[in-house]
Amino acid sequence: MKFSKSEFLSLSGMGHNTLNAWIEEEWIIPGGSSVEMTFSEIDIARAQLIRDLHADFGVNDEGVGVILHLVDQLYGMRRTLMEMRHAVRFTSE
Amino acid sequence: MRDPYEILGVARTASADDLQKAYRRLAKKLHPDLNPGNAEAEEKFKEIAGAYDLVGDAEKRKRFDRGEIDAAGAERPRQDYYRDYASSEQNHPYADNSGFTDFMDSEDGLAELLRRGARAQANRRGHDLAYRLPIEFIESIAGANKRLTLPDGATLDVAIPPGITESQVLRLRGKGAPGSGKGGFGDALIEVEIRPDDSFTRQGADIYLELPVTLTEAVLGARIKVPTPTGAVTMAVPKGSNTGTMLRLKGKGAPNHVGGHGDQFVKLKVMLPKELNPELETFVSGWESGRTYNPRGELVP
Repeated sequence: MKFSKSEFLSLSGMGHNTLNAWIEEEWIIPGGSSVEMTFSEIDIARAQLIRDLHADFGVNDEGVGVILHLVDQLYGMRRTLMEMRHAVRFTSE
Repeated sequence: MRDPYEILGVARTASADDLQKAYRRLAKKLHPDLNPGNAEAEEKFKEIAGAYDLVGDAEKRKRFDRGEIDAAGAERPRQDYYRDYASSEQNHPYADNSGFTDFMDSEDGLAELLRRGARAQANRRGHDLAYRLPIEFIESIAGANKRLTLPDGATLDVAIPPGITESQVLRLRGKGAPGSGKGGFGDALIEVEIRPDDSFTRQGADIYLELPVTLTEAVLGARIKVPTPTGAVTMAVPKGSNTGTMLRLKGKGAPNHVGGHGDQFVKLKVMLPKELNPELETFVSGWESGRTYNPRGELVP
């Protein structure tokens, strides 16, 4: 599912300036072109995570960047672990 | 929901500061996105977030303490978590393998497995995309060519095979999301939703239709035109037909699973003229057996 910028703003409940700042920080990476950005469900879920960190957990901007970097690496490892599980099953069959 | 103070593990007299501290301590341990391996985290997180929504807000907390509102329904609604997407197989811009690339550079068995895992990830088939397509009843029996407009404005041509049933799913190969590397496209899965028809109904491969006929056609018999999903046909109404008489049009139903077709059943419904006809009235008043025949029989002894 692809969303336009205005759809993304209404779905995530975010303000225009906040989103621009997050894109600037590369916390959110939209698809499409810089003129016509597109967003997907993962961007909405990620925005929600950033808001939880920011508003609920009191993490500051620097902290959010560090957490996202670590979280992305953690998920990268989980994905590869899952692929390894497939590979191991395939080899042992 | 349990008592919010109990959920957060604080006394009812705790200060707003203590409440926030307690919430953050628990939330960090239980936020589903920060604890992707913990399957129970989501339920627990919802509970503590709901509890904090209630007593973390000074106004709501006062009302809760006075017993004006209770903890029911306080669970925070949430659509999706980041972890639902981030560890899914789909490629996304946040994927980051830098946490273990050093492991992949060595020559042992683990490195080989990791490399294979990363390769499989790089050449992954795209996701299947699901759509719903509403069609008319007639189209479900006779088949049709439909064009589906996708959310991104693209179109998809769908050939509906004759005799398709509700909730049957059509698979269009290669019409789903793009994959990564040499993975190729996923499929489009189209679930058909058949709009009910005012006249036709279907049971298995057979089709049923209630057809109004005139008194004259019923009494004297007639050849009349009957609609079927594949076009009108001529049918003989036998002399002396009645409301409820069931006639069969062989092979005019939906395709069945043995390569043939079901039948269309036509149930007649005798209709008197809309306005009372003086001739008919004169005839009926002098018609003796019209008085002696009792169609209600045993219904009204």
